Amino acid sequence: MDKLKDFEYTMDSCNHCGQCKWILAPKMKGWDFAEICPIHQRYGFDAYSGQGLLSIAKEILTGKLQYGDGLEELLYTCTCCGACDVNCKNVRDMEVLDTILALRDDCAKNGELPKAHRETARRIAGTHNIYGLPHGERFAWMPKDYEDDGNADTALFIGCAAAYKNSDTALAAVKILRAGGVKFRLLREDERCCGASLWRTGQTEAAAELIERNIETFRRLGIKTVITACAECFGAFRSGYPRFARTEFETKHITEVAAELISSGRIAPKAFREPLMVTYHDPCMLGRLSEPYVPWNGIIRPFGLHEPPKTWRRGENGVYDAPRRVLGAIPGVELTEMTRNYEDSFCCGAGGGATEANPDFAARTAGERRREAMSTGAEAIVSCCPFCRQSLEGAGDNPMPYLDLTVLLADSL
Amino acid sequence: MSLSREAYRELAAVVGDAYISEKEHILSGNRVKTPEIPFEYHSADAILLPGSTEEVQAIVKICNRYGISFIPTVSGCSADAFAKHANSVIIHLKRMNRIIEINEEDRFAVIEPGVRQVQLYPEVRRRGLSYTAASVGPGGSVLANFTSTSGDNHVQHGTSRANRYLLGVEMVLPDGEIVRTGSLQTGSGWFCPDGPGPGLRGIVKGYFGIHGQLGIVTRAAIALDPCRGPREIRAEGVSPHQRVYLDSDCSKVRVFTFNDLGSLCDAMVKLGEAEIASTVQKFFYLPMTLMMTDSANAFWEKWNSGIKEEMAMPLVVHLATRSVEELEYEETILGDVARENGGVRVRPEIESWWDEHMDFFMVFGVLQRVLRLGGGWAPIKLGADSIRHMCEVGESISSYIHDYTDTGILFDAPESFQIVPMEYGHSAHIELLFMYDRTNPSVRPEVGKFTARARASDIADHFHAEMPGCLNQTAEQLGPLYSNYHVWLRRIKESFDTNNVANPML
Repeated sequence: MDKLKDFEYTMDSCNHCGQCKWILAPKMKGWDFAEICPIHQRYGFDAYSGQGLLSIAKEILTGKLQYGDGLEELLYTCTCCGACDVNCKNVRDMEVLDTILALRDDCAKNGELPKAHRETARRIAGTHNIYGLPHGERFAWMPKDYEDDGNADTALFIGCAAAYKNSDTALAAVKILRAGGVKFRLLREDERCCGASLWRTGQTEAAAELIERNIETFRRLGIKTVITACAECFGAFRSGYPRFARTEFETKHITEVAAELISSGRIAPKAFREPLMVTYHDPCMLGRLSEPYVPWNGIIRPFGLHEPPKTWRRGENGVYDAPRRVLGAIPGVELTEMTRNYEDSFCCGAGGGATEANPDFAARTAGERRREAMSTGAEAIVSCCPFCRQSLEGAGDNPMPYLDLTVLLADSL
Repeated sequence: MSLSREAYRELAAVVGDAYISEKEHILSGNRVKTPEIPFEYHSADAILLPGSTEEVQAIVKICNRYGISFIPTVSGCSADAFAKHANSVIIHLKRMNRIIEINEEDRFAVIEPGVRQVQLYPEVRRRGLSYTAASVGPGGSVLANFTSTSGDNHVQHGTSRANRYLLGVEMVLPDGEIVRTGSLQTGSGWFCPDGPGPGLRGIVKGYFGIHGQLGIVTRAAIALDPCRGPREIRAEGVSPHQRVYLDSDCSKVRVFTFNDLGSLCDAMVKLGEAEIASTVQKFFYLPMTLMMTDSANAFWEKWNSGIKEEMAMPLVVHLATRSVEELEYEETILGDVARENGGVRVRPEIESWWDEHMDFFMVFGVLQRVLRLGGGWAPIKLGADSIRHMCEVGESISSYIHDYTDTGILFDAPESFQIVPMEYGHSAHIELLFMYDRTNPSVRPEVGKFTARARASDIADHFHAEMPGCLNQTAEQLGPLYSNYHVWLRRIKESFDTNNVANPML
């Protein structure tokens, strides 16, 4: 895991161009929905932005600034959604989000971690899930007579949220895979939290321990492919795990698998409800933040030359089309797009532990996202991340129906 | 140093506690980290986010009462948007972001300073209108572009500088008085910049806007042009490989190269005389190469593959007309002018890059790739005069640039300056954008030396190519070349800002 010092080039080369705060020019549609940084939109001060956090990181690194006086609240209100990072990388070779994550790591190591995140870590250590619920209940949603392919080298990783809060998603994922004839297994008592909540809140030592254990579990069980219906787990496996350890398994999101099954004719969604106009919310961890992370240890020569060449994660290779292909295959479902979509999707407010650290802000951000969804004329907002779901179904302004894409597809089969 | 408690309380009472902060980490977000600027910055003592003209007025009056300097800002990209003195506050105008009116009949828009390019441009375009935008990126303040810069831009051949499109203005003067200029003053609306008596536009702008240091513009009207091209732009792909198209039978981009600057100069003059084309520019090929590549490594690969020789004298022309017949006519003229002056079309893959990045001709997001080589860039020249004089100035750069680029600290190429004609060749803007790595601690003196050398060249050769600055030392040097503008600038400043609190000069 990189440390704050590793991102000094990013801190030093930022010159406040503002690209981290505003929608990319090719996506511009009008006055509204033009801001892409949730904290900057909410609080207004430049410190609440990618650019501001780089300034803060530099001053922390050099000792000019110390933690305290509300800095931790600012740092942990950031949803780490990565919009600043992708927008910056449209024009620059900088690691804005990784600097913010390194700053969180530094903050945590300085003992300034918010209490809510310490509590999450304690729960995971005790019960292997983020809610502190009994580990034995992780697969309570599973039908009693359920049998899977016990020796399959493909695992369906359910994740804490679907296992304990959104069991309809877990059941839907099982239904889709079975309908498509995919041989897979569930990890049952071997499944533990993916560790995203630790990694993204700067609790990197605890994250490393958990990640290494999960990788070892996959190895022991001969798992070569991990399918998940959770965007958070998906993003963690693809872009988080390689920061801590060597991974030998492939990760697929359920929408990628479903899109393949549909295109090969192995499943065929049928009309099952009245025609419906929906808009799709790209989860950060499924979209721009899911690009595979490739470790880089090199030298930055003058004028930005990276030796050896670096594999950049600019958001281009996130999962954007598969969910849309699935939606397009369900008869009667019509998709209308929001302005802030694909790599410029606006965070639901739940990312990076913001819900725990600053629930009022998270709820307000969800309301802003729903306001954008409603402006499209859609009757419902569709997504495929349980954390986005909890946020967008939760309290706040502009309530509107939320549909889980995995459940929607399963219902159409 | 922090503000007195009395001053802070009074300021907080104006904007509310949520919109003022003196916390160190909040101030850090607006503390400059520009190593190459030749003077020391201070930290602001507080940052305020006012929401109305009345709040701005109240803040300014408090600043006068307590002797606090204030620095207005929106995007925060300019070196002038930071505290240069102790006992300063930053007035961040982000919350004042309303589009007050878009008048389609009389073709103007009334905006507050917080309205950004990506917000206004699509709004006016869908109404069949457009405006001339400088290359400040998506988050740049439209109002600041018109009131606080020269407003030079890449589409000014068929239009003009942004500052010539400024209409009615509402401004809080350095002492807190609110002034409304032109027709606005008489209650006749925003349509006219001047009323009876002396024009106030020059007062608003000083010599070129922000360097006038004269208060805070809180609302302004800008004139709009009819849009040449479709109302909707089509974008495809995901960052950083988006494509932006103008689906029109009346839009074409042509890119030529010429053997020498003289031939290219003749072609630009002829295109102006023929009054064709929306955009004509001798573009700088170093930024062009950066725009066409998606990483610093890819840039170096392309740069070292012969692109600089191939594109040494590029002329980029955008034809945007109102009918197919008009386009055919302009294309014929363009072809004749190019042929007569030795211009040759570039490879299709280079020309098609422009066809696929039409946002360049609108809000210029892609131009920020010039920051990729370590984040450092600075211009020399930036002035305006005739096309031929600008070419003369450009040609002179090669006599001294190597002294600075050969050290490896600064990076550029002798011919990599741009000349952008304005108003069909009525005049032209010149700019050489040189790069440096901000992470290199040796940068600061080298940037200063190169810009000073460029300025000395102008003074010695009586060139009219430098943008006169506000820094006293620079103003003293360049003033005599520009009718002693600096003497007037100071007198105006002293008259309007008796307490010297409005973003004081260094």
